[in-house]
Amino acid sequence: MKEIILTIDGKQCSGVAGETILEVAQKNEVTIPTMCYLKGLTPIGACRMCVVEVEKNPKLLTSCTTPAQDGMVVHTTTEKLFNYRKQVLELLFAGRNHFCMYCSQSGDCELQRQAIEHGMDSVRYPYLYADFSNDATHPEIQLDHNRCILCLRCIRICAEKVGAHTLDLQKRGWNATVVADLGKKLGESDTCVSCGACAQVCPTGTITLREFAYRGKRSQCDDAVESVCPLCSVGCRFKAYVRTGSITRVEGLGTEEPDGGQLCHKGRWWLPQSTERDRVTVPMIRDGAGYREASWDEALSFVAAKFKPAYERGKAGALLSSLCTDEELSLFSGLFRSGLKMEKVDTFDGDVLRGFIKGLDPFRVQGVRPFTAAHHILDSDCIVTVCADPQEEAPVVASYVRVAVLRDGAKLLNISCGEDPFKGITDVHVTMPGKAIRPEFLNALAKTIASLHLSESDTGTAREALEPYRESLAQCATIAGTDPKVVEEIAACLIQAKKPVFVLGGCAAKNPDTVTAAVNVAIASRAFFDDGLGVVPLVTSGNSLGAANTVCASESWLGEEDLEFLYVFSTGLIPEDETMLASIFRTRFVVVQTPYLVHPLVNMADVLLPAPAWYERSGHYCTIEGERRRLNVIVPPKGEVRGLSTVLDDLAKDLGISIERPAVPPCEAVFASRVAPSAAQMVLK
Amino acid sequence: MAKAKIATVWLEACAGCHMSFLDIDERLADLVEKVDILYSPVVDGKDIPQVDVGVIDGALGNEEEVHLAKEMRERCKILVGWGDCAVFGGINCMRNFLPPEKVLEEAYTDTKSTVNPEKVIPGEDLPALLPKAIPIDHVVKCDVYIPGCPPDADTILWVFQEILEGRVPKVPANMMRYD
Repeated sequence: MKEIILTIDGKQCSGVAGETILEVAQKNEVTIPTMCYLKGLTPIGACRMCVVEVEKNPKLLTSCTTPAQDGMVVHTTTEKLFNYRKQVLELLFAGRNHFCMYCSQSGDCELQRQAIEHGMDSVRYPYLYADFSNDATHPEIQLDHNRCILCLRCIRICAEKVGAHTLDLQKRGWNATVVADLGKKLGESDTCVSCGACAQVCPTGTITLREFAYRGKRSQCDDAVESVCPLCSVGCRFKAYVRTGSITRVEGLGTEEPDGGQLCHKGRWWLPQSTERDRVTVPMIRDGAGYREASWDEALSFVAAKFKPAYERGKAGALLSSLCTDEELSLFSGLFRSGLKMEKVDTFDGDVLRGFIKGLDPFRVQGVRPFTAAHHILDSDCIVTVCADPQEEAPVVASYVRVAVLRDGAKLLNISCGEDPFKGITDVHVTMPGKAIRPEFLNALAKTIASLHLSESDTGTAREALEPYRESLAQCATIAGTDPKVVEEIAACLIQAKKPVFVLGGCAAKNPDTVTAAVNVAIASRAFFDDGLGVVPLVTSGNSLGAANTVCASESWLGEEDLEFLYVFSTGLIPEDETMLASIFRTRFVVVQTPYLVHPLVNMADVLLPAPAWYERSGHYCTIEGERRRLNVIVPPKGEVRGLSTVLDDLAKDLGISIERPAVPPCEAVFASRVAPSAAQMVLK
Repeated sequence: MAKAKIATVWLEACAGCHMSFLDIDERLADLVEKVDILYSPVVDGKDIPQVDVGVIDGALGNEEEVHLAKEMRERCKILVGWGDCAVFGGINCMRNFLPPEKVLEEAYTDTKSTVNPEKVIPGEDLPALLPKAIPIDHVVKCDVYIPGCPPDADTILWVFQEILEGRVPKVPANMMRYD
């Protein structure tokens, strides 16, 4: 990387060859006004706000697209540039129908801010008053073409970060409009994933989210707090805007982040909406058909009194949420596992989680980290989805897959028993008869690929290289009950791939052997990343990985026998499974601690304890992004809501025990590795 | 020192800008020490007199408004445009997407809440609509623009104070607003 030196506004600025003038300026703290530019998206120089003067060049150059050169002398603040930028702004105002007084984004609008900063107190050009439409067909997202400045940020984020490529441009010049799916209305689009990324990056009031427009503008908010989304295993970082103690909107972080600062439809809508749900505000004890309010002391000593006899008979259990933070899970584990030595402790997603734990364990004991950060999918040239539906399970992972395939041309293979989760962009789709895929198939495939790799160092001639393995591939196909040609195609893709990655869905975890077999294929096809094996396990919730080595049971116990006491902690964000509810219902005495009045769970409770909601807690999550991420308190809890450590300490006192604090946080074990992934050995039973 | 003479006129707009002017509150008492408001919706005056500062609040939407704007321009030394309507056209521009006849039909016969079985549209006794509602500077030269819907009282006062000091001010970014 060659270092270059530029003079920008008289300041010596150093950069690297290949960087644009704008990038060098930003690195050196020189501010150049921009509008269409967003870090992380392809710069297109559409708005002309970032123009600069370069000495010995008669033209004004857009700094976002002009490569910086050694020795360049750049001016960014001359009167000529200021007037030119102001002219650009006036033309933008005259071209479409920007009327700030009835725009929901006034105050948040970048066009407005720039115009005011450039002293635009009138517009010298006649307005066009062209009659553009307002596309309000989407239930959540509104697209008002009247306010569009054609910066194409929405189109770029949709294509480059979400990978949906729903939005594009139609027509030319001033008649150009952003359009969904080759001319459909946004609400009719087949490809839109309703993530709201387009609205998040829109600099004007063109694309707005109804929910947020009514809750308030960013500029009206008192605070913006960073935290982590609890709704799926990705754990996207986001910024929550707070206005008078309530959350008005959530937005992803910068577009330069690996995830492009996107949130999925779940995080975008469910998080702010959940702040309006009915809360459990005080401890309550069942009284006939209803409840009566109680003090914490009374409620907890009642719980302790009911717990003791059940515990002594071995008929007490605890069912916990893996949306709890590491700290909360450590408390639970300290109380129920270390303190009380209870067997019957588990998480709601225990069954899926156990499948992954057991399936990945043979590799973990080798000292290898058997998974990689989810965003490494973006670096992969061959993605294999195994029994996964990422758009449902972890939508941002689906974005990674789409972007890798559509933008970078990665191959996409799907192995499952059902539908292809990425219809239209999948290269090879193997669907197997039955309800679960057979691990034997994956193991046979792994063996074949491993021997292919051993025999053929140059995989460029994949087809010919496959010849001697026709038979074993045909056997794989027989096991799978599928066409041998398709299996050959998969093998050919995998031996040619430089960095394959395997996305394992929750369905794969129904059988731990399937997980192990899929990892075997990953090892055979050399899916090695710096941080671990090229496997992305789609565990269920925000902190499933943290739950894996704290409270997750080694075997399933819920429903095996009717219990006398069950403590249930639910964050109320994910609906409970029917069979679990049935088991809870059959328990004689149920304590439910939850932030929300979650039905039907609260109806089953004999004692109801309030808990802080997701935005009232802090702590850490172990995410499949391979990071320990921090949750912050966005709005402090009100009233009788108490933190979990206070409640559990009091309960422990009533039970006459103390809570053991673990020396190592749950994440450290999850992310640990002693051995490079390339040293991993296949595990074939 | 003689007091500066001021005239303000309310054209196609709501009363917001003049309300914002009154929001100067107790400082209005200091201001009228230095100025005479000779013509304004808030004082009684029949014709626009010769003044030092003329103020137009509102866009131009009909012939009478164009006439008043021109008269104001002729009779003042410095012309100030108050508010988004005068500066940009403002909310009046909502009608610019329809021809004027349609606008009248929409207003007097077509709206659901209107009862007008004879479909009477006022005509000769009202000034004719311009083809489009326009900002004042499409017809007269404007010296000071104060955008805002409405502009803050502080900004309105600041502009008067600057003019009284003998300057023709330009609203700085920290005082400017469009909403």
